[in-house]
Amino acid sequence: MEDAVNSASMGLLPDGQDVPFSDIESTMAQLAREGRRRKGGPARALTATVVVVGEPDRMAEAAEALGLLSEAAGVRTILISEGQETAPSARVTAHAIGIAGLAPRFLNNAVAALRLSSLPTAVWWRGGPAEALQEIAHLADRLVIDVEDPARAWRVVGSIVDETAVTDLRWGRLTRWRSIFAHLYDLPAVRHARVRRLSLTASDPFAARLFAGWMRAMLQWSPDVAIHLVRADAPSKWPIESVQLEADGVDITVKTGSGHPCLHATIAGKETSTRIVPLGNGALKAVIGEELAVRSRDIAFERALDAALEVPAWP
Amino acid sequence: MDVSATNPLLDGLRIEPTPQPTVLVIFGASGDLTNRKLLPALYQLARGQRLPAQFRVLGVARTSWDDEAFRAHFHESLKTFAGLADPDEVSKALASDLFYVGGEMDDPALYARIASKLAEPGWPDGVLFYLAIPPTVYKQVVSRLADATLVKPRVDNGWRRVIVEKPFGTDLASARELNRALHRYLDEPQIFRIDHYLGKETVQNLLVFRFANGMFEPVWNRRYIDHVQITAAETVGVERRAAYYESAGALRDMVQNHLMQVLAHVAMEPPIRFSAENVRDRKLDVLLSIQPLQSSNGDDRTPLDVVRAQYTAGWVNGAEVPGYRQEEGVKTSSLTETFVAMRLQLDSWRWAGVPFYIRTGKRLPKRTTEIAIQFRRPPLHLFKRVSPTSISPNLLIVNVQPDEGISVRFEAKLPGTRMQLAPVMMNFRYGSAFGRAVPEAYETLLLDAMLGDPTLFARHDFVEHSWGLITPVHEAWAASGATEIPAYEAGEWGPREADQLIAADGRRWRTL
Repeated sequence: MEDAVNSASMGLLPDGQDVPFSDIESTMAQLAREGRRRKGGPARALTATVVVVGEPDRMAEAAEALGLLSEAAGVRTILISEGQETAPSARVTAHAIGIAGLAPRFLNNAVAALRLSSLPTAVWWRGGPAEALQEIAHLADRLVIDVEDPARAWRVVGSIVDETAVTDLRWGRLTRWRSIFAHLYDLPAVRHARVRRLSLTASDPFAARLFAGWMRAMLQWSPDVAIHLVRADAPSKWPIESVQLEADGVDITVKTGSGHPCLHATIAGKETSTRIVPLGNGALKAVIGEELAVRSRDIAFERALDAALEVPAWP
Repeated sequence: MDVSATNPLLDGLRIEPTPQPTVLVIFGASGDLTNRKLLPALYQLARGQRLPAQFRVLGVARTSWDDEAFRAHFHESLKTFAGLADPDEVSKALASDLFYVGGEMDDPALYARIASKLAEPGWPDGVLFYLAIPPTVYKQVVSRLADATLVKPRVDNGWRRVIVEKPFGTDLASARELNRALHRYLDEPQIFRIDHYLGKETVQNLLVFRFANGMFEPVWNRRYIDHVQITAAETVGVERRAAYYESAGALRDMVQNHLMQVLAHVAMEPPIRFSAENVRDRKLDVLLSIQPLQSSNGDDRTPLDVVRAQYTAGWVNGAEVPGYRQEEGVKTSSLTETFVAMRLQLDSWRWAGVPFYIRTGKRLPKRTTEIAIQFRRPPLHLFKRVSPTSISPNLLIVNVQPDEGISVRFEAKLPGTRMQLAPVMMNFRYGSAFGRAVPEAYETLLLDAMLGDPTLFARHDFVEHSWGLITPVHEAWAASGATEIPAYEAGEWGPREADQLIAADGRRWRTL
């Protein structure tokens, strides 16, 4: 067990230094001083703590995504993989801490001890028991849920929204989709049309439900508006492949482009017109970087999630 | 709630707000400003999904182009000024919304063609006219637009706005005349006088820094602040703008607009609320409080506390450069100032006795614009006996360009057994702190104009009061009969007279 924990820890921060938990702060300060001396630059201002919690096999990807972020943005990164250890060793660099195999019940204690005081703390939740999620919420200014099956985590959200600004990483990935529909809603023909049906083709059922929940909540649709989710034929880089909105006198189809990462919107009615907008950088680093910068409560997400819980999964 | 009255899908959307359907009509579409700034800004806005759902650009200029030529020019502009080697899907999509109408600015037929284009089916009735043309034709273009009934919307929810580039007038009389001419056809809320300094992130952040933090405003006054220095330094010379610059000079080119706006942000009182009119009212108060720069001593018309100078040949950015009078298009006997330094006194409760020193010039050693707020020293030098070094006063430095951010200088004890003090800097930089790119000023301002938010644009009374301060200085210089003005070598921080101006108060310019 000990060997497995150490190798996981080294995988997280290959250039780091192994230290007992009690020596983390002093070692980081020393490494930061040495780094400044080598580079000859001034100390960088610190802006936030980012805590990543999850299963060991999802931590390396997160560490890579946050690597540049911590260096560039003055962020202290704390990577905690879950296990059964009650006295785990840690591996540190000047900006990051890796703790492998920590028992979930001590998660909030570790974060309370290691987060930067007086600065915001964001938690990137990549897996773990729902109880631990609930406990860590009061230490977080921002909580980003990023798990494959968020059903359990989503049920916890209602009880923590008053403590932390919670979101799901899917919500961030849907921003461009939401944005283009918000744009199109400015068109009088769209705004005044009575919607009959929303169809989504997606590789991620939860993203599809969240999007449908958002439309339903924001536009105050009655149950008469049919919502139809379709499973995509193959896995995709994008959570949703296409959205079709059928309304009286106008049909809108928005789908991902085949070449560059773009969204193609077609508005068919009296006149047919198209829009092409960039889909943005779907890379994990870009999406999480944007989400972690947010500090305020997202009421639109909360309303969308409430409604999404009522949207049936695909058959 | 009636969801059809507003757009609920915009709630909580971080890519927001987006303007209503818009046509941007650019007069001067083949010109330098459009090429360097406007077209790249539109592309960046499109990339960020900030443009309206329905959006068209109608280029207008004398050049004999058609739609395709304008679109080709757009792609060339992006290649040169947006680093886009080959068109991407966004630029191609945006290019398809670009159209062009050519003609002479004084020809009514041009405006008939514009009107006909704007009336085509599918073209929105929100129209933003951008006057990227010489100021001498502003009045003519606006009156022609009015004659063609283009300044009034065709439908109830339509709108018409006009962006006017600087310089807005050349003195108080011409600025008033221009305002009168525009007001003949347009209401003030339709006029957006652009000053790209106001689109800079740091200038906007000044309001946030001052009024969203509890710790700065209590010390932001004469009790704690010793003086303020505002510097706008350029390394470039007059470049291709000699014809304009010869008639403008540094005072008109930089002080009357950019630096007065910056000064107003530093010195303004807190607005009651963050609305365009409240913010602009408080900025105007600052101008009203500035003491006249002209001597009040009888017939003596010598400008008080103002130094002008002109650069001579020197060495900048690793190369020898000619003097101003040797630049192409500049008269050999030119008295146009390429450098101005001035001391402003604000007659207000907050700032009485606190001098604001302003300096700006071309061919200075480095390109930088900053606001330095120097605080008073502590009343007692407690460490005089134990520390051999004198205490440096606290400084708060707002870097406007090129490295936008804020720095604070304070004293700290040097590590060691002795009580030795040293100044240290704490830096916040926009470029790194938030891990995202800072938008170009023109992106912000174009978007605000499309949204109809005039907060970052100059109001008519601000422009006139600013000219009211500057014009007497020009008049006094003209009346002086001087045949020479002070000189400074290119690559130096201005003339000796500028040092003497501040030294007379027992102070010195910051070394940048």
